[in-house]
Amino acid sequence: MRFVKKAFKNLLGSSSHKPLNNSQQEANQQPTLSMNLNENLQALDSIYADCSDIVIHNFLIAGKTKALLIYIEGLSNIDLIHQHVLAPLMQESVAEDANTNRILQTKISVSNRKNVVTVVDVIEQISNGNPVLLVDQQRQGIALGLAKWEKRGVEEPMAESVIRGPREGFTETLGINTSLLRRKIKSPALKMKSIKVGRYTQTQIVIAYIEGIAEPTLIEEVENRIQRIDMDGILESGYIEEMIEDNPLSPFPQLLTTERPDVATGSLLEGRVVILVDGTPFVLIAPTTLASLMHSPEDYYQRFMISTLIRWLRYSFFLISLLVPSAYVAILTYHQEMIPTTLLLSVAKSREEIPFPALVEAFLMEITFEALREAGVRLPKQVGAAVSIVGALVIGQAATSAGLVSAPMVMVVAITGIASFMIPHYTIGIALRMLRFPIMILAGMLGLLGLMLGIIMIVIHLCTLRSFGVPYLSPLAPMKGRDMKDVLFRAPLWMLNTRPHLTGEENKYRQAPGQKPDPTKGGEHG
Amino acid sequence: MIEKGKISAFQMGVMMYPTIFATAILSLPSIIAVQAGRDMWLSPIWASTIGFLAVCIAYQLHKLYPKETIVEYSVHLVGRIVGKIMGLMFIFFYMHLNGFIIREYGEFVVGNFFVKTPIIVVIGSMVIVCAFAVRGGVEVLGRCAQIFVPIVIILILLIVFLLSPDLKPIQIYPIMEHGVKPSLMGAVVPSDWFSEFIVISFLLPYLTDREKGMKWGMISVFAVMLTMVLSNMTALFLFGINTVGFRYPVMVAARYISLANFLEHLESIVMAIWIVGAFVKISVFYYVIVLGTAQWLKLTDYRPIVWPVGFLLVLFSVWVAPNVQEMTRVVGTSIPFYLLSMQVAVPTLLLFIAFIQKKFRKKGRAKG
Repeated sequence: MRFVKKAFKNLLGSSSHKPLNNSQQEANQQPTLSMNLNENLQALDSIYADCSDIVIHNFLIAGKTKALLIYIEGLSNIDLIHQHVLAPLMQESVAEDANTNRILQTKISVSNRKNVVTVVDVIEQISNGNPVLLVDQQRQGIALGLAKWEKRGVEEPMAESVIRGPREGFTETLGINTSLLRRKIKSPALKMKSIKVGRYTQTQIVIAYIEGIAEPTLIEEVENRIQRIDMDGILESGYIEEMIEDNPLSPFPQLLTTERPDVATGSLLEGRVVILVDGTPFVLIAPTTLASLMHSPEDYYQRFMISTLIRWLRYSFFLISLLVPSAYVAILTYHQEMIPTTLLLSVAKSREEIPFPALVEAFLMEITFEALREAGVRLPKQVGAAVSIVGALVIGQAATSAGLVSAPMVMVVAITGIASFMIPHYTIGIALRMLRFPIMILAGMLGLLGLMLGIIMIVIHLCTLRSFGVPYLSPLAPMKGRDMKDVLFRAPLWMLNTRPHLTGEENKYRQAPGQKPDPTKGGEHG
Repeated sequence: MIEKGKISAFQMGVMMYPTIFATAILSLPSIIAVQAGRDMWLSPIWASTIGFLAVCIAYQLHKLYPKETIVEYSVHLVGRIVGKIMGLMFIFFYMHLNGFIIREYGEFVVGNFFVKTPIIVVIGSMVIVCAFAVRGGVEVLGRCAQIFVPIVIILILLIVFLLSPDLKPIQIYPIMEHGVKPSLMGAVVPSDWFSEFIVISFLLPYLTDREKGMKWGMISVFAVMLTMVLSNMTALFLFGINTVGFRYPVMVAARYISLANFLEHLESIVMAIWIVGAFVKISVFYYVIVLGTAQWLKLTDYRPIVWPVGFLLVLFSVWVAPNVQEMTRVVGTSIPFYLLSMQVAVPTLLLFIAFIQKKFRKKGRAKG
């Protein structure tokens, strides 16, 4: 029984040093299965002690050879196991002379089968939902690809909806997610490297990239950073994100998260790397720049003029969501002369009965708004309506008539709220929501000067940030004129000839030049 | 090398633009107007020759010692002891100069907008922000400049554009009423701003494209010259010869802006945006001090001395002058000679020595 314990220790022990990779040598050192089926049975019994969901089925092949079938309830397709494995094997009418090997070769009608040699392999296959067949007097077991568990279907992504564009989103199942990518990029140049991370969860992580477009050094760096992770479990791609980003102390996201396959595909084609994590619909994209966080997939599906306009609207509301409350506080407290007289009078009138200074008022309202939003996310759907009713009271007419806040302040909070919803990626929006508060304090202390110092601090921070070697503010700073066409504007697709420049100069052009449509160009049918 | 970051020559040019111009836009028009009168717009053109000269000197010295800054190669040129003294002089000079710049910034903000705020708060907060940028290194400074400079340029153009209904170009006549002399006299003070271009000798070693350093330095001088002409012309067209009476003519001009009876009194916004220019200016000089000190002491990293130097800068800004009147007087009288001798005469001397040494070495080699 000693080898069993060793195997079990190895299973945990090896992963405590290094995640279990596809490293063959490592597997060779681990204890192999025994020839004696009883020993194997005892080994598995002790490993799976107190695991009520494990099914270990003892049966005879063709009525004479002892065999074991092990699977986890709910992870394997029981109907198919019965139909294609148990039923044919347990038939007693098999010819007398046929040996067990031949029976195994001919009777099991399952295409995806794999031989397993070590105990660790057996456990891994079982955990993945593949039933394992162990036969007496055989060095190898057979893992059958009959995994099947309850999964959510492909649905429309909740957090990133578009008017025009594909409606499918990633799901919690890694296999479906990779297939969604593969269905969009048919070329075999789309590579998917698999890594297992997590001492206990053994979560499968896939690094997808397009060979020949993505920088080899970038892929290596991503792989290295993921392999360095050594923790109990990976429950969401957020774990990976936090463990591999360049500056862990920054409020800004340095990896882009998306649940849209079209966004992931677009990034792959730009030479970025997509990291898919089993168990979550959110995939990570590296490297990421601030500009790419401000883009919506729809920018490329709409007409370019409209997209450019919307982009600019988004950029300005990006600033509004960060600055409007603090600008209001600063101007009202220190620079009243800037407000036109009539407006100043009406603001003064509405603020006449307000007991708080502008800064406190702004803080009160902004915090209330944040609380409302958070409550709206957390509350069960049945109570959701109540929040919106209460919210309208707290931020609205009732608050004003109660004499707690002035009407202009309500407007400011509302505009800020709308502005922060305009940003296509939630992670960057939430960073701005947080940064709004320190800037408000600075504005309350030093007016527009404080506001400006706050902005300068943020810009300095953004200038120091890098995401996998790519400056966060590129192509604005350092300036790359060639890439401006997809940042300041959304140039028409027939002008987007070059890929965005990330780190190297691999595969610069993405389409043939001079494709501007023109009816006089003619063609085969012209 | 202590600094591991790299910038492009273009980034250096962009960085130098506010480094020269940020404080020049404030008081320079009225200082020039005292001497040059109606020809005040001509003075920056004469003064810019000093800028071109400074870039040339810096570039020639850089070509001789491509991987070193002026603090380092002065040791090679004039010997260890004299070179070290020269390096210390440079560091001390820039400390003093940056003290002036910070004080000017502080006096401007306190005098115009935050009358009741202690100047030390205004100065201290700015130095803290600059310290963060300096800690990031030359790359971060270059990138910050690239973000901020377009905003500053747009601001200047916008002020001129919005003022255009009030401008009276007729004020420019008569051109050179009293000959060239007044405008040349007026060029003395702006020339010390242009002499600050010698700062690029601290940046040239960190360029990715060194051969373009000269080109972008020149373009930067030219851009500063154009902007000064523009700001002086605006002041002249608006106030005429009365520009002399205002301490900050461009800021007063911004007060004149009135658009559709709604956009009025924009000077606070102008101040806020001008701050980013001042930030770049202070940060670049701050960086030069920190880098120079680290090289002078042969430290392995310059980051540990960022905060102590920042503290010194705040003190220097308090020490440079007892009050704003005294400071303006100094800027108009002794500062030009102080700056020109440190930033033009000394580097020219170094270049001269370098050429002589080169000749001797060639002769020596020919003999040997």
